[in-house]
Amino acid sequence: MLRRFVSWFEMAALLVVAVFIGMLFLNDPTAPPGTPAAVVEAAGGIDGGALYGKSCAGCHGGDGSGGIGPRLAGTMVKKFPDAAAQIAVVTDGRRGMPAFGTRLSPEEIAAIVEYTRTVLGG
Amino acid sequence: MVKTESATPERSASMLFAGAVVAGALVAVLAGVYGQVHDPASETTIKLFFTTTLHFKSWATTAILVLVILQLLGALWMYGKLPLFGDAPEWVGPMHRLSGTLALLVSLPVAYHCLWSLGFNPDPGGSRRYWHSLFGCAFYGAFVTKVLVVRSKRMPSWALPIVGGVLFTLLIALWLTSSLWFFRQFGIVV
Repeated sequence: MLRRFVSWFEMAALLVVAVFIGMLFLNDPTAPPGTPAAVVEAAGGIDGGALYGKSCAGCHGGDGSGGIGPRLAGTMVKKFPDAAAQIAVVTDGRRGMPAFGTRLSPEEIAAIVEYTRTVLGG
Repeated sequence: MVKTESATPERSASMLFAGAVVAGALVAVLAGVYGQVHDPASETTIKLFFTTTLHFKSWATTAILVLVILQLLGALWMYGKLPLFGDAPEWVGPMHRLSGTLALLVSLPVAYHCLWSLGFNPDPGGSRRYWHSLFGCAFYGAFVTKVLVVRSKRMPSWALPIVGGVLFTLLIALWLTSSLWFFRQFGIVV
């Protein structure tokens, strides 16, 4: 009885494995909001959205809805009325968040911050 | 003549084991290639009642670790390596298979988030993520090899303990580079 149950369970597990493998190829991610040309231009031609995708989305989510890091979408302007304060956090890091001052230029950090404050809804 | 007859099945068993290792290596490489080629979605996936997907993954990997320890104990019992407990009852075999299958099932959403959302980290400078990526891919390769070894009656007798040991070691390495790191960084929270 137990052996038969285990055999059925293993067959079902094989099906689940197949579903997961299929999802790896068929599940399209939600495209993160693109950076409008005006925002890119204001940031000196640096695409803050693309940099956000590479450096921030892994923790804060592609759409800024949060993950291991806190939600950014719709919260940044309220939390940091002065953008310089937000830039300082990104540059120097805070608590679990690493410092990006050694990995990104000040212009790139400013472009990312601008992206989070405008495109992600402030 | 006698030498040839006894050597042939042994060689054939070794070749069969080599085939299982190659199949496992192929799975590991394919997982790594997918993680590297696929653009990371950077999205949260399943989190059940946990705070975030990473909380879920840390606890799921810990649950897998417990199941795999049970697997190890079950295997030792079945092979008479736990003399204090005597012979293994009949239910130990099926329970061993059940816990292994459960561990695989629990690992799927974890691996899915790793591969689909985060991708393979090829930068040895990012030490933890690099090694975790390697261990993760190798784990599924070793799993495939182990299943093939278990299912075949003609494998060398030394194959199963070796592959099982590798699989167990890889899971420990995975847990150390993910769950333990997470719990130390963010505390033991749900």
